[in-house]
Amino acid sequence: MLLAYKTALASSRVRATAIESTEFPTLAAEMDVWAVPRIVVNGAPQWDGSVPEAVFLSRILSATFE
Amino acid sequence: MAIFRPEDEERIRERFDALDRPVELVVALGPEETPLPGHADVDFGAETVRIVDELCSLSDRVTYRVEHDAPGLERFPAVLICPEGEDVGLRYDGLPWGHELGSLVGAVLEAGRAQSSLRPESLEALAELDRDLAIDVFVTPT
Repeated sequence: MLLAYKTALASSRVRATAIESTEFPTLAAEMDVWAVPRIVVNGAPQWDGSVPEAVFLSRILSATFE
Repeated sequence: MAIFRPEDEERIRERFDALDRPVELVVALGPEETPLPGHADVDFGAETVRIVDELCSLSDRVTYRVEHDAPGLERFPAVLICPEGEDVGLRYDGLPWGHELGSLVGAVLEAGRAQSSLRPESLEALAELDRDLAIDVFVTPT
């Protein structure tokens, strides 16, 4: 989660929200959350699990959600 | 009940006191979704206020205020992490407890830094970003 926050702090084009899955089960079900952390970019699920900074940035910047 | 062990509390207090810039937390309260079975007896909003209040009692560098039915938010409770009181897009939706309390503390520490702790190559890549990104990270407290 911290990497997402750091990314949002470093770029005005990025926003980062942690969502507590058990409190918002409807949205978690919509996003097919089975494992955490699940990373979703612009409403499109991307991957599950923690990754190193370089991988996180690379995946975020190349995320597809159209 | 205290939310931190005494030794952790002292460590967090020192790091909060040393922040380069102050951080304001905005606790947004409003209608809550019916949670999963087993959570029905928890008042998530009140508990979030209690945790944030205790966190902010550690240092004058970290403050908070409570907003009711804040416009633009869909889920409550939520905590906005605002460096120098400015909403720059950092939010925690839900009660920041368990493991995720550490994420909130980490967010405050990073928001209080004058310089990003990301690597220079990450900052260079972000500088070239030409689209808006909303990153949602689904978490659980355990």
